[in-house]
Amino acid sequence: MADVRLEGLSKAYGTIQVLRNIDLVIDHGEFVVFVGPSGSGKSTLLRMIGGLERISGGRLLIDNEVVNDVDAADRNLGMVFQSYALYPHMTVRENLAFPLRMAKLSKAEIDTRVAQTASLLQMDHLLDRKPRHLSGGQRQRVAIGRAIVREPKVFLFDEPLSNLDTELRVQMRVQISKLHKQLGNTMIYVTHDQIEAMTMADKIVVLKDGVIEQVGSPHDLYHNPASRFVAGFIGSPKMNFLGGKVEAAHESGMDVRLDAGAVVCVPVEPDKSLVGKPITLGIRPDDFSPSSAEKDIAIDLDLDFVEHFGSVTYVYGNAGKEAVVAKASKPDPLKGSGKVRLAASPADCHLFMTDGKALRRLHAPANWN
Amino acid sequence: MRLKRPTSTNLILNLLVGICALILAFPLVWIVMTSLKQQAEVMTWPPTFLFVPTLDNFRVLFDVAQAGATSYGTIKVDFLTPITNSVVIALGSVIISLLIGVPAGYVLARRDIPLKEDIAFFILGFRFAPVLLVVIPLFSVFQAIGLYDTYIGMIWVYQVVTLPMIVWLSRSYIEEIPKDIEEAAAMDGAKPVRVVLHIVLPLLKPGLIGASLLIFLLAWHNFALGLILSSTKAPVTVALLKLLNPGVQFYPVMAAGLVVTMVIPVILIVIGQRHLERGLTFGAVK
Repeated sequence: MADVRLEGLSKAYGTIQVLRNIDLVIDHGEFVVFVGPSGSGKSTLLRMIGGLERISGGRLLIDNEVVNDVDAADRNLGMVFQSYALYPHMTVRENLAFPLRMAKLSKAEIDTRVAQTASLLQMDHLLDRKPRHLSGGQRQRVAIGRAIVREPKVFLFDEPLSNLDTELRVQMRVQISKLHKQLGNTMIYVTHDQIEAMTMADKIVVLKDGVIEQVGSPHDLYHNPASRFVAGFIGSPKMNFLGGKVEAAHESGMDVRLDAGAVVCVPVEPDKSLVGKPITLGIRPDDFSPSSAEKDIAIDLDLDFVEHFGSVTYVYGNAGKEAVVAKASKPDPLKGSGKVRLAASPADCHLFMTDGKALRRLHAPANWN
Repeated sequence: MRLKRPTSTNLILNLLVGICALILAFPLVWIVMTSLKQQAEVMTWPPTFLFVPTLDNFRVLFDVAQAGATSYGTIKVDFLTPITNSVVIALGSVIISLLIGVPAGYVLARRDIPLKEDIAFFILGFRFAPVLLVVIPLFSVFQAIGLYDTYIGMIWVYQVVTLPMIVWLSRSYIEEIPKDIEEAAAMDGAKPVRVVLHIVLPLLKPGLIGASLLIFLLAWHNFALGLILSSTKAPVTVALLKLLNPGVQFYPVMAAGLVVTMVIPVILIVIGQRHLERGLTFGAVK
């Protein structure tokens, strides 16, 4: 158990800069998820923390100790690889015992720890099998077991669930979350799946093109995305973006004329310098409702198609030139094609400047906790 | 899926395979037959396929005390020494090649070193050079530095044949081991040397046994190096040539020598095959 601090960390392969100036504090016992599209540098960052990738610049501290030049073997971290990376010539028992053997523990101690870990992950019956005789989910559990058996300071997970099928992925997600509660260790988890990030993390770090876009709780990122990129990345289906122009800025927010014609007053921190400039309005599909109060934004949607999920229904269509997705509570009137009127409260809207940065919302929902 | 072929096609295919086998097996059968014949029978025309086999030729090969008195003349053969020589040289070459070649292959597979591909190709380049080109200058060099006709000298010079193979084979085997596994071992607290000892070498074992057999055969069959660079330490291939005297040609004895020479690698392959477990790395990743 430990805290991890990244100070101005950077990574370059020759002249190609893959990570720039990463500052981050990971507290003791926190579950932190690095999320971002492929090529964002999230795996590289994790591997740098693990000691598998050399640090080109900046400092990495674990428990207030600079570990830039400490060997991976000496950092006392546990890691679960995307490919599981089990030792194929060893049985599950030997796989679990390997980190303990490397730590030169006594035979008796190794046996008890292996047994404890095996029962924690419910794989006592698998101990004498070789990895090739295990299913994907079982291999995944062995990989996790091997990472935790040594009781390392920090656990690193590198997209551990991406090779599993959907059902198993949900199960393992729950199991890893439970494990975190049980063990209370610091965990750093890399994924490109925003649902994993939202469901598991205490803190999400969104990376894009080698820089941190935003750090915050899942709630924060969902309700107060710092940029258009984060807004689009977190949440499914994606947030809708509608073009518009700022008409006025006053105390209660900014008046925006949408390209579709309507004028809305969005409650964000006003910025007079933006008046007359183009702006992007963001609305999450889930924030649409069919009923229309007077202040609501009304959008006329040319229906394209309807997706039924059972509990929810999403309608896809076009508002003017822009594609819009919206949640529909009552699927019946939306069958087939034609026009449908959707409404959303301005309080649920986000505004993004042309450089992608968000304007701070005045009435974002309070934290979940 | 099983394809059903018409019987006639099957028949023709089997016939073709049979012919191929016959062509390949014929020289071997001929040699074995010759080794079991008397000198007189060897020379008859047309050749006889029915004869009373004799093991006399094999006795001549190894019976130094009797000075090889045969029913058809006297030859003095000491076949045991060249066999011992060949075993020592070939085994020594394999061991030295493994000790040097596997670490070299590991570096070429895993580390980013400058001019990596050029170094690898340079090592392989030794396989392209005709041995006779180097063997004549080597003769005077070896004589000058006292390596001529020594095991050390022979094993050293055989590296030209065996080392490039081991470097290249072990490199490709190591590349097949997912890097994740080594990284996982590092995360598990294993230092580089222990990663190699506990993880890489056990996974390489089947591949290395195969490669060792292969280079043992290469060393075993080498002729030119032994011919020029040794006399009392000459390998079995050179000894076989010496059975071709300018005067009398002891074909059956030579055939017996050939059979013995062939049998040893065959035995090794049969023993080694058990260890050639395939697909050991399966199940490591994904």
